[in-house]
Amino acid sequence: MNAQKFLNGIDRISTWAGKASAWLILTLTIVVCVEVFKRYILNAPTSFIFDVNNMMYGTLFMMCGAYTLAQNGHVRGDFLYSSMRPRTQAWLDLVLYLAFFIPGILGLIYAGYDYALDSWRIREHSNVTADGPPVYQFKAIIPIAGALVMMQGLAEIMRCVMCLKTGQWPDRLKDAEEIDVVEQQLATSVYVDQESRERAIASVHEIDEAARQRGMGADAKL
Amino acid sequence: MSDPALGLLMLTLIIVVIMLGFPTAFTLMGLGMMFGFVAFYDPTHAWSQNRVFDLIVERTYGAMNNESLISIPLFVLMGYVMERGALVDKMFYSIQLAFRGVPASLAVATLIVCTFWGIASGLVGAVVVLMGVIAFNPMLKAGYDVKLASGVITAGGTLGILIPPSVMIIVYAAVAGQSVVKLYASAMFPGFFLSFLYLVYIIGWALIDPKIAPKSETKIPVSDWVRRFQDAYSRNMLVGLLRAAVAPRKAAGIEIGGRPMTYRAVLANLLAALFPLFLCAVTLWGIWWYVVIHPLADVQAPAPMAVPAQKSAAPAEKAAAQEDKPQELGATTSESESTAAKEPETLQEMGDPTLVREGGASLASAGPPPEFFMYFWIVVAVTALVLLWYYIKMQAEQFELLKLLTTSVMPLGILTLVVLAVILFGITTATESAAIGAAGAFLMGFQAKTLDWERVKQSIFLTAKTTAMVCWLFVGSALFSGVFAILGGQQLVEQWVLSFNLTPLQFMIVSQAIIFVLGWPLEWTEIIVIFVPIFLPLLKHFNIDPILWGTLVFVNLQAAFLSPPVAMSAFYLKGVSPPHVTLNQIFAGMMPYMLVVILCMVIMYVWPGMTLWLPNYLYGNAGG
Repeated sequence: MNAQKFLNGIDRISTWAGKASAWLILTLTIVVCVEVFKRYILNAPTSFIFDVNNMMYGTLFMMCGAYTLAQNGHVRGDFLYSSMRPRTQAWLDLVLYLAFFIPGILGLIYAGYDYALDSWRIREHSNVTADGPPVYQFKAIIPIAGALVMMQGLAEIMRCVMCLKTGQWPDRLKDAEEIDVVEQQLATSVYVDQESRERAIASVHEIDEAARQRGMGADAKL
Repeated sequence: MSDPALGLLMLTLIIVVIMLGFPTAFTLMGLGMMFGFVAFYDPTHAWSQNRVFDLIVERTYGAMNNESLISIPLFVLMGYVMERGALVDKMFYSIQLAFRGVPASLAVATLIVCTFWGIASGLVGAVVVLMGVIAFNPMLKAGYDVKLASGVITAGGTLGILIPPSVMIIVYAAVAGQSVVKLYASAMFPGFFLSFLYLVYIIGWALIDPKIAPKSETKIPVSDWVRRFQDAYSRNMLVGLLRAAVAPRKAAGIEIGGRPMTYRAVLANLLAALFPLFLCAVTLWGIWWYVVIHPLADVQAPAPMAVPAQKSAAPAEKAAAQEDKPQELGATTSESESTAAKEPETLQEMGDPTLVREGGASLASAGPPPEFFMYFWIVVAVTALVLLWYYIKMQAEQFELLKLLTTSVMPLGILTLVVLAVILFGITTATESAAIGAAGAFLMGFQAKTLDWERVKQSIFLTAKTTAMVCWLFVGSALFSGVFAILGGQQLVEQWVLSFNLTPLQFMIVSQAIIFVLGWPLEWTEIIVIFVPIFLPLLKHFNIDPILWGTLVFVNLQAAFLSPPVAMSAFYLKGVSPPHVTLNQIFAGMMPYMLVVILCMVIMYVWPGMTLWLPNYLYGNAGG
């Protein structure tokens, strides 16, 4: 149980960092809209906006890497994978995490650290425009995001080990899922009869799961 | 082991490991790191000075600064917000009523809703499940053929990844180094053409064999107050409302939902009734603006928001069909815009609109050709006649239908058309219009009162996850393909392919067939990011336009996602369908659509003009 708590703790750190930077998307939307207004209507473009937008977008996706990993959201070829038993999945994952994930991300952290350090030392500014904003803090995102992903990856490795022991995948934190939209759309629907609405809402997550396994899952019901 | 052999080993390993189901982004990074380390290994330097570290950090920073990818979170956000803000069931209901005279009206309405939804989002699963609940059961109850009903939902559901603004197109643009805008323009016609082919197929089948889609008697429900309003003023709703606006006393005696009809309610209904007129006027004015005023305009040109709005209102459809003509005729004139748009997009993004606009202004002094004015006024006259006919015939049913359509379909339709038109006509960049679209989606949702704080939060977190997924994959593949090229694997593949002495047609067929097969087990993200870059350098040898090839890939993936027995959408539909519908029936229903997609690809190849006309017309041949 302690291990589960520890896992949840790490998940929570990644999720928190991801969700906090997720709000950058809202800022990005607003900034770009304001800039559109300024540029096309007031004819007063802002020179540093190009860099600022890039920074928001870059920070957003880098910092959400660990969050996405914690939610198992990185795309995987799950055609064969999803039809395996949890233990087999865990074995494969464990080996592949050690073989590919660790060297790749370690390299990213190491290289990113050097890169950011160099930039930080000279207080580098953007050269897109003549008087560009500073970029050293933006470059520092690379090792930070890398470290977060690494930490989450270690948690995933722990998950594999736990799954090998118990034969079941440890739980993940609950979070928004794409398929939730079905429930939201149907909950307020007036043109669909009550019964089919309730049935669909109740089973939508199972349907999602089964469809991903394309009817080949271990406990396929289709 | 020689370097190219290492490259091939790398390619084999990536395929194996993807099949094993490890997160692809990290597989790519890990493989790139290890093979890169070997490729750059230099005994005279310490291992920590290996140049692979420079490569990975450069590629990562490149993805963080990629000007195509920056529009991904914005478009994804727009999609998620729209998905939560739009009222799909109401949309389906009203479109179905609007098309009640057409054969197989329920299937047609399903397809149209799917196309609209496809514009909004690219999620296959959610669309199919939702349409399964909203449309599948009604169709079965109405006695529709199971194959027809299941086919239209599964095929319509996959349209979303093709129809712009789609994330797949942005990712391809980033991978292929093409302009997002040009690719959007080229995917425009094939996307709508494909859904048009589906439509022809459904209606054709229903005409040949009416048994498969029995006509269901649907009456438009007319609310009580409309009946009494008609008695009080006039059978014709427009005339009635106009009279009521002048003499509101009788209206005050009519109750709407238990309360007397206020003057405000009269005006609101009058506005709703005038909506088609307004829409046509704005569209025509937009064309006028784009052809006549825009080329001359300086930066203080009127706000570009009005240009689009074509083809949205059902009544305005006929007019809209002809609206394409004036643009076509304006071709010669609009060369000034094409030149303007030919300026690299980056310039615009870097906040320098004046430069681009000046280029347009100096060339535009010639003005539009005289034919434009003639055709423009003909179109205006025809539109006016159609509108007149529509308003003369506007009875209670038409009025109720119009009100349903304006509240459900219009907001979504207008918003997407504004977004697309603003990008396509080169008025703003893809990033800017994506942001406008996202903001518009929020406004739309708040106006329809369908968005609450919880849903906003959800859309934002989902956007973050999707963006991170796509962009990390991009980082991984950027490193991977860099190392693959350095090892000479790319060259080896090229030599190998060239040694077959294929004709361009053969190469086209082979490459599309490979992508088609890859589409069975893999998602589009992996195909576009990992496998498409291997083909891209070969296109030059065979003299194939990467834009045409890319658009064919997008359409191709439609077919791949519809091929039994691997198509996910079939399983989604099976999940919500009644027990008597078997998976085999759904597969059998999908097959014809797959053939339609392949037919569409053949047409696209035989007649590349369909794909390339719009980008060439809008942005000229050069550049790219």
